[in-house]
Amino acid sequence: MSAATTEQRRFATLLAPATVIVVAGLVLPLLLMARYSLNRFEPGQFMVEALTFGNYVKIISDPYYRRIAVTTVTMAFTATAICLVVGFPVASAIARAPARWKTALLLLVILPLFVGNAVRAAGWMVALGQKGLLNWILLRLGIVSEPAAFMYTWGAVCAGIVSVNLPYVVLTLQSVLEGTEKSAVDAAQSLGATPFTTWRLVTLPLAMPGVVAAGLLSFILAMNAYATPVLLGGPTFQMMAPSVADQVLQQSNWPLGAALAFTLTAITLILTATVSFTLARTHAGA
Amino acid sequence: MAGIRIESLAKRYNAVSAVDGVTLDVRDGEFLVLLGPSGCGKTTTLRMIAGFVAPSEGCVRIGARDVTHEPPYRRNIGLVFQNYALFPHLTVEENVAFGLRRRRVGEAAIRTRVATALSRVKLDGFGGRYPRAMSGGQQQRVAIARAIVIEPDVLLLDEPLSNLDAQLRHDVRGELRRLQTELGITTIMVTHDQDEAMSVADRLAVMEKGQVRQVGTPSEIYRRPADRFVASFVGRANFYAGRAERGIFVTASGLRLPVADLAEGADTLMIRPEAVGLRPAGADGLAATVETATYLGAGWELELRLAGGERLSVVAPDAGEHWRQGQILTAHVAPTAGVGMRTGS
Repeated sequence: MSAATTEQRRFATLLAPATVIVVAGLVLPLLLMARYSLNRFEPGQFMVEALTFGNYVKIISDPYYRRIAVTTVTMAFTATAICLVVGFPVASAIARAPARWKTALLLLVILPLFVGNAVRAAGWMVALGQKGLLNWILLRLGIVSEPAAFMYTWGAVCAGIVSVNLPYVVLTLQSVLEGTEKSAVDAAQSLGATPFTTWRLVTLPLAMPGVVAAGLLSFILAMNAYATPVLLGGPTFQMMAPSVADQVLQQSNWPLGAALAFTLTAITLILTATVSFTLARTHAGA
Repeated sequence: MAGIRIESLAKRYNAVSAVDGVTLDVRDGEFLVLLGPSGCGKTTTLRMIAGFVAPSEGCVRIGARDVTHEPPYRRNIGLVFQNYALFPHLTVEENVAFGLRRRRVGEAAIRTRVATALSRVKLDGFGGRYPRAMSGGQQQRVAIARAIVIEPDVLLLDEPLSNLDAQLRHDVRGELRRLQTELGITTIMVTHDQDEAMSVADRLAVMEKGQVRQVGTPSEIYRRPADRFVASFVGRANFYAGRAERGIFVTASGLRLPVADLAEGADTLMIRPEAVGLRPAGADGLAATVETATYLGAGWELELRLAGGERLSVVAPDAGEHWRQGQILTAHVAPTAGVGMRTGS
């Protein structure tokens, strides 16, 4: 009895600091934000105490916000798809590499993570600008006669998000591919399956849990991307996370900003849950 | 169905030879076992026959076809792995049908052939299960069904019994042998277990350090091992250094043992422990003192010291005697019991 109590006390002691931080730093602000999102915004008076779903109605009914939501979701899906397509071969190569190269290869994947998102986006600005590296190369090769506009386009933001998410996707896929049985691949080939058929019927299905995990991770990161769309998309390109900040910081419209934040979270959660459940059911056998 | 011929097959990794000039002829319908300790090159040899490892030298023929440069998926081989290597996301039926689908066999034919294959390995009614819902022995039988259903030219087995426990290993190996005989399929199995090898093989190829030391039937290998390595790998043996003198082997201490078929130039004599007869003291044979005597139920294991100081290990069936340490007796070594060999040959 007393041993159990000591055990419980020790348990509580271990959990306490993290719990305090999470409650103070995440739960309380979120509750506060939830309350704010139900307030009204009066120009000149800023936030007015109220209990209304007006902000949410505005987000859903206003084409301006709907377009931002569609852009964000489309961007997150596209960037994630590109990450998976580009990342899968890289992850397989690392998983198959001899042990002595593996550490070096993994380090190369992790290396970009040492550079923050904003710094990386700044790098992309240098590469994609009017007088940037890409335009310089294209002009030199004579592919374009005058500098093309890469900055502040959908493509620039997508490239930026892909470069941010790719290391996470590769690492997640690699750890799953590492654990799959090499002999199942050999078995498929011995039974007459060409390398591509083997990949389609054996490697990919066995890697599905990793593909789902990596995809969800990338999707959530892309949905909430901030620095990349702001720096590479410019003032006219709108995604949800920057528009939350814009409402709060520029317009001082806390109620609408809070409502946008919860809408973003809700869309992310619903899409993530739908994808997880659908795939879990399709691959119930695996 | 077809025989397999491999010629001067070699695989080098940088400067290291994993397989160093292996030549083997496996007859149509034969069950050949590659036996050897780990690292002897037997698995690399098998993987070269399967097409997963490209040989540095030599060639592989299946029937009249030279398949040396064919990828595995064009060799028409059945392969069974140590860890079963079933597809965990497919049912048993889908696993077995996998090779038939790649061969574009019609759905109706697939159904009958899968059912036949599953019943051959005594797994009727298991078609709808997933591999993870089956025991190791059942999984290995699915793997066997999956390999034979495609009617391969050759069946390759890579340590197929190593992951099974003792009783199951015994059962599955019997089943493997029965299936192989029924189907008449040319088979090569790799193993490091000499009991397993002896019990299923038509012929054994004993390998060491990337080379084949001896090829022969299990009894040839056991009774007439070509060298000391083969002799000790397939069973226990006593070895004596000495020289051959017209049908008599003279040991270093001067012991003279008549040996049938003694090649001139032999410098080592091998005697299996169970080939020695035990008789009362004073009988015709070698006088010996019992150093240790261990009763094992089915028989006795004795360590004897001979008059010349040599030791002799003997395994004798339990015939009612009670051997004790220090006891004097006579060890009888028949002329057919000893095998002369040249060390380093």
